[in-house]
Amino acid sequence: MTPAPLPTRRPSPAAAPLLEVSDLKAYYQMRFFGVTREVRAVDDVTFAVRRNEIYGLAGESSSGKTTLIKTIARAIRPPLNVVGGSVTFDFQDGRRDVYAMTPAQVDAIRWSRLSYVSQGSMNVLNPVRRIRSSFVDFAARHIGGTRQAFFAAVAAHLRRLSLDPKVLDAYPHELSGGMRQRLTIALATICRPEFVIADEPTTALDVIVQKGVLAMLREIQQEIGSSILFVTHDMAVHANLTDRLGIMYAGRLVEEGPTTEIFRRPFHPYTANLISSLPRIGDDVRRSGLPGAPPNLADPPSGCRFHPRCPLAVPRCREAVPPLEELEPGHRVACHVAKARATGAALS
Amino acid sequence: MTTLLEVRQVGKTFRSGGLFGRHVVRAVDGVDFALASERPEVFTIIGESGSGKSTLARMILNSTSPDGGSILFRGRDLATIRSRRDRLAFMAEVQPVFQNPFEAFNPLKRVDRYLFMGARRFCGARTRDEVEARADAALRKVGLSLAEVRGRFPHEMSGGQLQRVAIARALVPEPALVVADEPVSMIDASLRMTIVNMFRTLRDAFGVSIIYITHDLATAYTISDRLIIMEKGRVVESGPARAVLDAPSHPYSIRLLQAVLPVGNAWRDERPAEPRPQPAA
Amino acid sequence: MRILAILRDLLRYNIEFAAGLVLVGLVAVMALLSFASPYPALDVYVVPPDVPPSWDYFLGTTSRGQDVFWQLTVAIRNTLTFGLVVAALSRIIALVVGLVAGYKGGWVDRVLMSINDTFVVIPLFPILVLFYFIMRDAMSWAMLALITAALGWAYDARLIRAMAMSLRTREFTRQAYFSGASTGRILVQEHLPFVLPIVFSTTMNNINWSIGIEVTLSVLGFTDINTPTIGGMIYWANQHTALVAGVWWWIAFPVALVVMLFVGLFLLAISMNEYIDPRSRLARMGGGA
Repeated sequence: MTPAPLPTRRPSPAAAPLLEVSDLKAYYQMRFFGVTREVRAVDDVTFAVRRNEIYGLAGESSSGKTTLIKTIARAIRPPLNVVGGSVTFDFQDGRRDVYAMTPAQVDAIRWSRLSYVSQGSMNVLNPVRRIRSSFVDFAARHIGGTRQAFFAAVAAHLRRLSLDPKVLDAYPHELSGGMRQRLTIALATICRPEFVIADEPTTALDVIVQKGVLAMLREIQQEIGSSILFVTHDMAVHANLTDRLGIMYAGRLVEEGPTTEIFRRPFHPYTANLISSLPRIGDDVRRSGLPGAPPNLADPPSGCRFHPRCPLAVPRCREAVPPLEELEPGHRVACHVAKARATGAALS
Repeated sequence: MTTLLEVRQVGKTFRSGGLFGRHVVRAVDGVDFALASERPEVFTIIGESGSGKSTLARMILNSTSPDGGSILFRGRDLATIRSRRDRLAFMAEVQPVFQNPFEAFNPLKRVDRYLFMGARRFCGARTRDEVEARADAALRKVGLSLAEVRGRFPHEMSGGQLQRVAIARALVPEPALVVADEPVSMIDASLRMTIVNMFRTLRDAFGVSIIYITHDLATAYTISDRLIIMEKGRVVESGPARAVLDAPSHPYSIRLLQAVLPVGNAWRDERPAEPRPQPAA
Repeated sequence: MRILAILRDLLRYNIEFAAGLVLVGLVAVMALLSFASPYPALDVYVVPPDVPPSWDYFLGTTSRGQDVFWQLTVAIRNTLTFGLVVAALSRIIALVVGLVAGYKGGWVDRVLMSINDTFVVIPLFPILVLFYFIMRDAMSWAMLALITAALGWAYDARLIRAMAMSLRTREFTRQAYFSGASTGRILVQEHLPFVLPIVFSTTMNNINWSIGIEVTLSVLGFTDINTPTIGGMIYWANQHTALVAGVWWWIAFPVALVVMLFVGLFLLAISMNEYIDPRSRLARMGGGA
């Protein structure tokens, strides 16, 4: 069985990051009939995505990763509110604080600088009109020019991605799920955005189709040089696609580093279990999951949110929130025990 | 050898396109296999979407009937099950587990209801103590207990727990066969293996045969005894699980295995560049 | 105890509910007072006629020598009873038809919906008037209630059927089926909680509608006008050309009271609806965030 090969890519760490998220907090704040609930979906998240890199966000359901990227794309509405922190993009035409812009400004950068690929392709493609009209709706105002010139550009883009331009004349329901998803990605990248957010784009697809879609994403990334923030719970996809990887648990970032490092030597016990519990074809090792369940974000555990399920937990874990700190160059971890082991310091 | 389940050349066709039925889809075509009753096993059906695996599952559960061929459970053709009593007797032996644990429970009601319902209906339990004892026994088989689950609503529990309760519900009548249709695909990765391992326990400790339907080859590799691979309604390959997955012979099986993303190989710098992909179909 | 807690919550946080409760409460009090009426309801010329509202006669008296206030209490009681009975009967029919058609599908659904659509299309008033002309004096209130109920279920049955159809495809329905539940159990225990909010708001609607029918029919004289009802009072007022004669209180107070009832029921319906909607219930219980 051959492993899936990848082209080499060189992200440039020296240049300023394209996306900077600082101390971001986004909570659901709800009141009905006297009952107040605050769900801390994203709680104090700080990370950066460099230019020309694919950054993966891993985590399970209720880890907050979907809320996080929606917040980054400024696609949230009350009762979900940003309570603190900032999201800043450094596009070629200047730095932009996403929450300081007017809605008109946000609309202007959508699709041309920042685009979004979601899990359901049918959320994007209008089911009662042909594919070409979706392209017109989304991209025509950014690309401009005559209709003919526009469609020539679209056809060229599709051909570059190994898609037959004839699909433009089809209706979405006439195409397979994989084909629709590929078209959604082509649509999201036709304006050559600098930043692409992909929210579980391959999760609903079969493995064979998934392989094609991932290959296409890599192609595009190579060609346009954009950065991709790729969210999925599937660690195998991260292993085969991303340059750097951030692991989210219960609304917080618990580990971050180069993908190869994370898989080779995960520091955080949650990450370690996530990787080791993956069953693999060809080996006989008994794998097991974690006891317990992800916490309720309306009432999360004190201190480190993972401590109720953690095999390495010590009393300190319940009392103090572990800060996300760099234990190796480029490799950050939020865990008291991991830090103590790495630095050799005693655990109080 | 007595057979538990015999699927004989089963086929199912769907017609679409109005009165004249222009479009005909053979969802299942000529599927044939059998499960023995002496030796419980985990029998896996692997297929992608459109392969017909869910339709096959529905036929085995007697929710829909085959157009061609027949399905026999303990020697009795499912098509002869008509009366409510016969139907209940069949359900007591063959139970399903579905894909979506969140949808499997009525969000406005407590989760223990279905367990109690099953205990009353299938086990003939009458008094409250009997009913609760049965429910508790089933829950313990999946590593939970009635004390933990009693009175809880679905939204208070995680996907993994809900799915375990769903499996317990299926175990209440002590069935001989459990048909699990993508039981872990909507469960978080950290909880997935707990449930997959539980299927193994069900087979070994409680003698339940399991038909495990999935598209995830990795979990199939871990617990299956035998498996079949379906493509567009037909079985393209079958045999002992490890043998098939380690050395597939059919081109579709080979493509399927090649598409599985390897996890151990995160060291990507050492690999050569991928050749340009072929134009998509 | 839960009901009290629910009422308390609603009263505290929802002004529409409070207002609705007050209005409907007043009307209900009026209806209950009818049992204390010093004059038999059907008697005429028991008090001096055409007396304007005063301390002796709180709301004035009619041209037929009846005390408007006490007449009104009986009238609103009868009208309200009629409305409630029709609403209850038609809800039951709508629920049964809607749930069964939605759940069973196939030919059962088709047959039921054909019957349903027939009833939707029937022009209401002409039929009611026709019945009156055919039956004349044999048209008792019970008969009228039955006929109105039979004409009032069709619209809502379709709504309920739509909900039942979507509930049928949900996974927990299959789960209940495989736990051995019979069709009846599934419909009542699993589906009804989802369907009830719709049923509730349509009930309020239906009460308003049936009272409207009663009033209209009575004003036109097509019912047993000897039994005092709101519409009956207006009928007699018209017969005695009350507005021309200046006896405005005979018409104004019945109208005011029935409008209070309509508005009160409406407010109750919209406020309770938000409360019992499954999504908002779930959100309050803690799920669905």
